[in-house]
Amino acid sequence: MEKLIEQLKAQIIEALNFEDMTPADIDTDAPLFGEGLGLDSIDALELIMLMDREYGIKLSDPKAGKAVFQSVRTMAEYIQANRTK
Amino acid sequence: MRQLGSVHTDLPVGEVPFTDTELKRMAGVADSEPMPRTSLLGIIAAREALLQAGLNEEMVNEKMVNGLAFISGTTVGGMDLTEQHWHDYADGKATENIRLHEAGESTNAIVRHLGISNQQSAVSFIATPSTACSSALNAIMLGANMLRTGKTKAALVGGAESLSMFHLNGFNTLMILDHVPCRPFDAERHGLNLGEGAGYLFIEPEEQAIARGATILGYIGGYANTCDAYHQTASSDNGEGALLAMSGALRMAGLQPADIDYVNAHGTATPNNDLSESAALRRLFGDNLPAVSSTKAFTGHTTSASGGLEAAICVLAMQHGLVPANLNWSSTAEGLITPVTHTQHKPLRHILCNAFGFGGNESSLVISSTGTDLSEAPMIQLPNEQINVQMVNDEMVNSFVSSAESRRMTPQMRRVVAAARRAMEESGVAIPDAIVCATQWGCMLQSMRFLQDMIDSGEQQLKPTPFMQSTHNTIASLIAILTGNHGYNATYSQGKQSLDCALVDIRTQMSIGLIHTAMVIEFDEQVDAWDAVLQQIGDRTEDIARVHIYTNNRKI
Repeated sequence: MEKLIEQLKAQIIEALNFEDMTPADIDTDAPLFGEGLGLDSIDALELIMLMDREYGIKLSDPKAGKAVFQSVRTMAEYIQANRTK
Repeated sequence: MRQLGSVHTDLPVGEVPFTDTELKRMAGVADSEPMPRTSLLGIIAAREALLQAGLNEEMVNEKMVNGLAFISGTTVGGMDLTEQHWHDYADGKATENIRLHEAGESTNAIVRHLGISNQQSAVSFIATPSTACSSALNAIMLGANMLRTGKTKAALVGGAESLSMFHLNGFNTLMILDHVPCRPFDAERHGLNLGEGAGYLFIEPEEQAIARGATILGYIGGYANTCDAYHQTASSDNGEGALLAMSGALRMAGLQPADIDYVNAHGTATPNNDLSESAALRRLFGDNLPAVSSTKAFTGHTTSASGGLEAAICVLAMQHGLVPANLNWSSTAEGLITPVTHTQHKPLRHILCNAFGFGGNESSLVISSTGTDLSEAPMIQLPNEQINVQMVNDEMVNSFVSSAESRRMTPQMRRVVAAARRAMEESGVAIPDAIVCATQWGCMLQSMRFLQDMIDSGEQQLKPTPFMQSTHNTIASLIAILTGNHGYNATYSQGKQSLDCALVDIRTQMSIGLIHTAMVIEFDEQVDAWDAVLQQIGDRTEDIARVHIYTNNRKI
């Protein structure tokens, strides 16, 4: 799990162009949207695409992403349970 | 989907049911002449409009002494040809035809086929507003402003847009395409269906129309263009920009909300648009909502052409005394207005027509059955001041744009945003009344990224960000979003004449007193992938980020 979390943080930084950040800068349990990283609706779509591309998980409804994208940890747990690659 | 060669055949689209070859025959274009589908649709609609206005070639050539202005909004331009021939270009087989990619060139192609032999002198002004889905309404506004200031005596205004794989895939990455026919304002709505088409109005001063015995179909009552200044692809929850556009159009028309008999809503059927537009409608009309419908369930969302098509639908509605139904509606939900679900028959004196675009480019137009004298405003003399800023130093860029703000921007976007901020600082004009961008190729780096990814991947797993930033209006709206500017916001893509178009726009508005200060931005990007194509015809792209502040000496 820890390995997946680290890998995911790096993928998030790359997908969302956080050029000045390192995985250590992202708190595993902090909210991704709103306060935390301050992500928006386009970032949510980029995260949906990331899950499809890297883990073979398809989320067809952006609203369904809300629960999954609460934090890096919730995302990692969802990936662990649903990944197809 | 029968014409568009996309793999996403599960997505319903509102296609014009003719092949390009069939359209060429209808438009009188030779089979051998390369022509964007956007231009073909535009030629057919524009010729119909001239014919219906009772104008023959002689009239255009001789009686309109100042010439005809042709103002046609588009964003797709010749993208369809580029995506079909991309592999040829990569093989070194590019010809001059690649210039048709440019939005402005696709408009020029329409003018060449308007059926006016002497078009060089007869058509005195050509402009291509490119503010995504509000482009055509902005074309109508520029034409009206030119008539009011005597810059032209007749204008053919509207927009044209074909479907393309590029924007079908782009909207698909945004997850706002419905897999069944769209359901505007319905609780279960799940997105839009893309459509294609062209729609134009022929507008001229009333006395000229009467003098030549023309049948007057309607009057432009008022109009406004504002910026939601909220997000590149999302509308604000309270519909601020939409409210400002609608109330601004009413103010110019000298009307109260109660005077509006029908609203042709933008109503795309995305969850976000319909909720935001409903909020704006409620704020404007309170409990006395007039008849409202979105006609996009009939046409699909024809994006840059939608304002032209829907303005024409409004004129028809007025002529026939009927409110078109909002199809596919069955239930409401909290926050949504309830549209008219069956055709209503009643006289319509004043209609409000909305078109909203990416970047929060919001436009509203009032069409009236009786005349409104818009030319009463005193003309203001224009010995205007100008401040110019050219940003080249990347170190300075960082002092004007934070890394959090710029994470999605291309390097050239960062430079132009920095130049804009510096220009505001140096001029003391913190919130210009208008932000107008002039660009030949638009946001070409993100466009090329998305296009290449789309072709290389076979239209799979595309990233939304490059599409979101691919539209020509990205720069002007981005600056408005970053500086909280709800004022007039427009973008022109007319080749090397783009800046001239922007200046005609702000000068006519300043003469009428609609604006007192304006920021004019020149933007283009050097892009290797496109240069590889352009070099085959001896051309190239270049980095341009120049910002000018104009004032009419009255406000500062």
